[in-house]
Amino acid sequence: MCPVLGHLDDMEHRIQALYEQFGGPLLRHVRKTTGNDLQWAEDVVQETMVRAWRHSDRLQWEPGLVWAWLLTVARRIVIDGRRRRSARPREVEPPEADTVPVPDGCDRALSAIVVADALRSLSQEHREVIEQTYLRDRTISEAAEILGIPPGTVKSRLYYGIRALRGLLRDKGVAG
Amino acid sequence: MHPEVAAYVLGVLDDADLQAFERHLDSCERCQSELKELQDVPDLLDDLKLQPSASEDDDPPISMSR
Ligand SMILES: [Zn+2]
Repeated sequence: MCPVLGHLDDMEHRIQALYEQFGGPLLRHVRKTTGNDLQWAEDVVQETMVRAWRHSDRLQWEPGLVWAWLLTVARRIVIDGRRRRSARPREVEPPEADTVPVPDGCDRALSAIVVADALRSLSQEHREVIEQTYLRDRTISEAAEILGIPPGTVKSRLYYGIRALRGLLRDKGVAG
Repeated sequence: MHPEVAAYVLGVLDDADLQAFERHLDSCERCQSELKELQDVPDLLDDLKLQPSASEDDDPPISMSR
């Protein structure tokens, strides 16, 4: 499965096939997270396709799992890009519920309020690990240092926090 | 359950853990199923995380030290 020069054509064909299968939906999804920066979104999709090709054994998974994996790979690439782009550490406060959403889509604005509400209903321990990781584009070890707790504790709090958040959002009818 | 799956879905694992977790994922059905289940959550958090700032100007506050 390791590519050698003679198989470049084969590689291109396979990546092309991946594009045909996943490229459109993935680009639509990624664009929502790149601030509609189309060039950036296209780069993210391309890198995702290359990684998918490198781990093509995972493409044998059932379609729902393949899609979830691709979304996760793309999400990570976007986060890494955002971290690189903000050369200085972010000192911006995390979004608050009472911020007034600018209408770039009513659904998103509404959803932001619901999500902020759900976050506030979590325990302090659960809320703070979500804020210090995902909402600030920080890794587990970075958040662990800031919070002064071991990385393993961040991981497990994040797990239970995310599960709790998902439960609340399901109750509100916004999560599947 | 394997708690790293949440950090993986959110894209916040450290690089070293990321590769190890993906190898784990290859053989752990529980984590595979949670990978699908938890997929909604980061997307919903994005609605909050990526919404335009409430401030009047376009730039977010640069430094709000506590
Ligand atoms: Zn597992």
